[in-house]
Amino acid sequence: MALSTPGSGTSLDGAPPLEGALSPTGETVRIGPTRSRTGTSLWRDAWRRLLRNKLAVAGGIVVVVLVLIALFADVLAPYPYTKTNFGRLNEGPTRDYPLGTDQLGRDMLSRMVYGARVSMLVGLGAQVLIVIIGVPIGALAGWAGGRTDTLLTRFIDVMYAFPRLLFVILVMSMLGAGLMNIFIAIGLTGWVGIARQTRAQVLALKEKEFVEGARALGVRSWRLLRRHVLPNALSPIVVAVTFGIPEAIFTEAALSFIGVGINPPTPSWGQMVGEGQQYLRSSWHLCVVPSIAIAVTMLSFTFLGDGVRDALDPRLK
Amino acid sequence: MKPPRIDDAQLDLLATRLAATGVARRDFLRVAAGLTALGGGLFTARESSAASKPAAGEKLAKEQVLRMGGGGWYQNDPGSHDFNKDLYCNGVAELWAGLMKFNADFQAVPYVASKVTSNTDGSTWTFTIRKDSKWSDGSPCTARDFEYSWKRQLDPATAAPYASFLYDIKNGEAFNKKQITDASQVGVRAKDDWTLEVTLEGPRGYFPVLSAYLAALPGHRGSIEKYGDKWTEAGNIVSNGPFVLESWEHNKQMVLKKNPHFINAKDVRLEKVIIPIVPVASGALPYENNELDLTVLQTADMKRLQGDPKTAPQVFRFPYPGTWYLTPQVTKPPFDNVKVRRALGHAIDRDNVVRVSQGFAIPAHSMIPPGFPGALDDKKIRDIQRFDPKAAMAMLKGTPYEGGRNWPKVTLTMREEGLGSKPLAEAVQAVLLEHLNLKTDLEVVEQRVFRERLWKQELQLVWIRWFMDYPDPHNEYFDTFYGKKTTGKRQAWTNDAFDKELESGRDTRDAKKRLAHYAKAEEILQTDAGYVPVAWVLRWAAAKPWVRGIETNKAGDRVVIGNIYVDMLSHLYVAERA
Amino acid sequence: MVHFAISRVLWLLPTLLAMALVTFLVMHATPGSPLDPVAEGANPLSPEAQQNLARHYGLDRPLYMQFAIFVGNSLRGDFGNSFVYRTRSVREILVDTFPISLLLGSMALALAVAGGLALGILAAMYQNRAWDYVSVTVATAGVAVPNFVLAVFFIILFSFVIPLFPTGGWDSPRNWVLPTVTLALAPMGIIARFTRASMLEVIRADYTLTARAKGLAEGPVIFKHVLKNALIPIVTLLGPMFAAVGTGSFFVESIFRVPGMGRFFVLSMTGRDYPMIMAVVLTYGAFLAVMNLVVDLAYGALDPRIRY
Repeated sequence: MALSTPGSGTSLDGAPPLEGALSPTGETVRIGPTRSRTGTSLWRDAWRRLLRNKLAVAGGIVVVVLVLIALFADVLAPYPYTKTNFGRLNEGPTRDYPLGTDQLGRDMLSRMVYGARVSMLVGLGAQVLIVIIGVPIGALAGWAGGRTDTLLTRFIDVMYAFPRLLFVILVMSMLGAGLMNIFIAIGLTGWVGIARQTRAQVLALKEKEFVEGARALGVRSWRLLRRHVLPNALSPIVVAVTFGIPEAIFTEAALSFIGVGINPPTPSWGQMVGEGQQYLRSSWHLCVVPSIAIAVTMLSFTFLGDGVRDALDPRLK
Repeated sequence: MKPPRIDDAQLDLLATRLAATGVARRDFLRVAAGLTALGGGLFTARESSAASKPAAGEKLAKEQVLRMGGGGWYQNDPGSHDFNKDLYCNGVAELWAGLMKFNADFQAVPYVASKVTSNTDGSTWTFTIRKDSKWSDGSPCTARDFEYSWKRQLDPATAAPYASFLYDIKNGEAFNKKQITDASQVGVRAKDDWTLEVTLEGPRGYFPVLSAYLAALPGHRGSIEKYGDKWTEAGNIVSNGPFVLESWEHNKQMVLKKNPHFINAKDVRLEKVIIPIVPVASGALPYENNELDLTVLQTADMKRLQGDPKTAPQVFRFPYPGTWYLTPQVTKPPFDNVKVRRALGHAIDRDNVVRVSQGFAIPAHSMIPPGFPGALDDKKIRDIQRFDPKAAMAMLKGTPYEGGRNWPKVTLTMREEGLGSKPLAEAVQAVLLEHLNLKTDLEVVEQRVFRERLWKQELQLVWIRWFMDYPDPHNEYFDTFYGKKTTGKRQAWTNDAFDKELESGRDTRDAKKRLAHYAKAEEILQTDAGYVPVAWVLRWAAAKPWVRGIETNKAGDRVVIGNIYVDMLSHLYVAERA
Repeated sequence: MVHFAISRVLWLLPTLLAMALVTFLVMHATPGSPLDPVAEGANPLSPEAQQNLARHYGLDRPLYMQFAIFVGNSLRGDFGNSFVYRTRSVREILVDTFPISLLLGSMALALAVAGGLALGILAAMYQNRAWDYVSVTVATAGVAVPNFVLAVFFIILFSFVIPLFPTGGWDSPRNWVLPTVTLALAPMGIIARFTRASMLEVIRADYTLTARAKGLAEGPVIFKHVLKNALIPIVTLLGPMFAAVGTGSFFVESIFRVPGMGRFFVLSMTGRDYPMIMAVVLTYGAFLAVMNLVVDLAYGALDPRIRY
């Protein structure tokens, strides 16, 4: 049995081994349905709980499908997303163009498929930056305590007090439009939530006995933080990232609507929504199709996020 | 008396004055149509346009109230209505009446001044003001008011950003730049209540035209001195135009009321004009929901409004001439090679490209749109811009990009604006990719940042438009492409032969010879590919069937409020709704 | 508790100062100066005109001085004149527009709370059954569509298809309906989900079990014990939420032509209207801090476990 960290269960938690018979070497031989005898970690427990949550599973499947679409866009899209057809502008769904065409006669389906890629990139890219900035700051604040904590918390509070939209636009104006810059802008303005959560988690865990125990064993502070505390603090981070992805997609949509987002001809759902909004009365498919896509993505991530949070919460059995 | 001759040095100065105010880039048509052929008694006291009369059998609505706005008209709250100080206050111009005004053909005609005369060489102009000219509080609006207003604009203490508009007035520039401090030395003087004498720096045959411009509108001294910056608020403002500002709820709406003391009050039919502040984001929705009677349209609404048989007759074009073009920067590869630049012209399928503008653009093969002096329909020019993918590729032979390969990174930069600009740029991108295998990244940049970078000439390939200021080729070529410009040069391209043709065109008196010079200039511009013309601008508006009185110009186009022609409201009336 | 409140109020000043500093630096680092001509095709202003303008705005002074002057003036409530609306002071503009955004935000929040609570309670009570799924889906759908799409969608639906409401404006209560609903949907979704989670937590708690064990019927259990305890953490949510909607949404206010403060969040940026940007950021920050304080105090009053 590995040295386990708290929050995990072991198979000795009241679950009787089934149908076991002792082999000559003394090991238990499994006959029939069994549960693993080796210690299950928090993660495996969580996974099991997650699978029981139907909504979360549905959400998860959609997310996986989206990622696959994003990865295999080149194969899936019937036309290149730049291919224009000036004779068939703003058309509704037809056999040639199952989802219709846009203002330049480009195939909506292809643009949606490539748009998935961009939207996923925006969502994930921004979150990567958010985690890279937010987690260390939060962890440092929680772990170090004292004056470092106070200083960092004040800094976090100040950043939290900024109106997000304005600040994102400010940063985008400073950097100029483009995909990379959107990561940076959303990342720079969105790390505060995760920092706070990480700090709260680290603070809470700092007091637990296992930390004291590890210290007594002589484990050094840094290692303690990295290998024992942080992995446990991860669950709210995972949840936050799951919810943060659709939020980033949203922000990108808003930026494109205002005009400081991704540059054409790269399709992104957000940009398509922004540009299609003025056509809602005439060629509504231009706006509605990507809106539905964003909505479905958001729903899926939300259900998944809910499920992940419920699964990782040791109190909710 | 004979109007003075205007030589081309003066025309040049007019160009500078207009360009300096930047007012330039909006419709400022036909202003100088008369300038090259002055003598037609343009500035004598004839009524500019007769009052619009209802057609036989047309019944007027009981309430003469008009609601206008949207699509770009007053999308932001005006900064003020003080045109005297700030030409771009975005206020309501019809609160005011200047000495002269522009009619629907964009000719300058007398307005508050009944007569305009000058000395022989045109260096002193005298405006005789109508004795019935009054402010909206009943007090007379005299020559002294105009003297006060123009001196106010030139006063450095006012910090008027476009005071250079009046630099033709003797000592105007010196006063504005604080080289002299005595305002009485400035050459505008009220000889008596009804006579304004303006002494200029030299012969300026076009000066009366300038006085028709928004920058020359008066301000009311009493209000200014009493209320300071806030003198154009609804309760404080006193104006002399067809309408007064009855109420102004900031960011919400403005309400205009007919000014009973206006000189032509008997011809104004509208009693009230309601102007809500409508952001462009709302589109034509308020118009369609009958919350507005008159609006300007954006591309997204066109198809729907034209497709619906009920609304189709309400939609009309109005003149707003301008040209969309590409500027390949000659200092940046791959465009440092003239063959590459020429290839662009052949690669752009203009007929198809303009389709994405939903009617807001037509294919262009030169700078000047058809119907204006200097418009070319030359076979040679057409050949240069002919859409021919094979010829385009053939042009690349001998360059490092032969066969459409090895293109470096190319960024197409445009500024953030409406009017279908972005779809057009994307369409251009698409055709360049298709026919030259040239992939471009489109970069949409904020206005201010765009201008900064444009003037530094750091942009590689620019998608840009030019709005005509006045119908003379000088405007189309000089302000855009003249190589020896000191400030505000849009691109690095220069060509000595081209410059010489422009200078000859400017200095020649004979109209035919001038046009020949400019035609040659266009040819040089195109053979050396300083730019690639793509499309000419069209603009559309919509008016409910009960809105009548919209003026039409000689070409038959209806004309609505722009930056030059602002006289729309005093001609409108509302018919009884069926 | 008084001590707590006072220390929070005192912390407000340095926080606002820090915010002002960050905004100031980022603003001045952004390309595009307010001195550039306003007009579309205008040529650059002559050097004299630029200098004049710079002097007029105080932009010719060194940065640290500009900042110091700004701080000094703003302490007296003077943010200067807007660079875009040059005859009006920023303070005047905000005094005109902030109350309108506040009204819209309050109505939206009230609607969001009412709707969100209802949805969340339903979802928790019928967890993992039909009502739960319906409720969560409806709630999340409100959050899932960007509000600038919802806005036009509602206009089309309720101004054209079913002519009930005008397309915009702010004159009479009829104009208030569509913008309020549009603005309320996203917070409603968030509140619903939060309520659901909170109620679930409470339902499973020991004291609920105790109440049930003591023989209480389900009704009083839910409404007297569960709800009261579940709602407490939701109060913490409302603070930042109110700050977000109370200062106005750019999209909703633009599309519905509401003359509120939200539009300046974007317009002041594109116009490089430095005084306005600063004022908007600081107003938002202050408002948020006040709401957080109110919420924390309320939380302290409601939750017997918390003692300040």
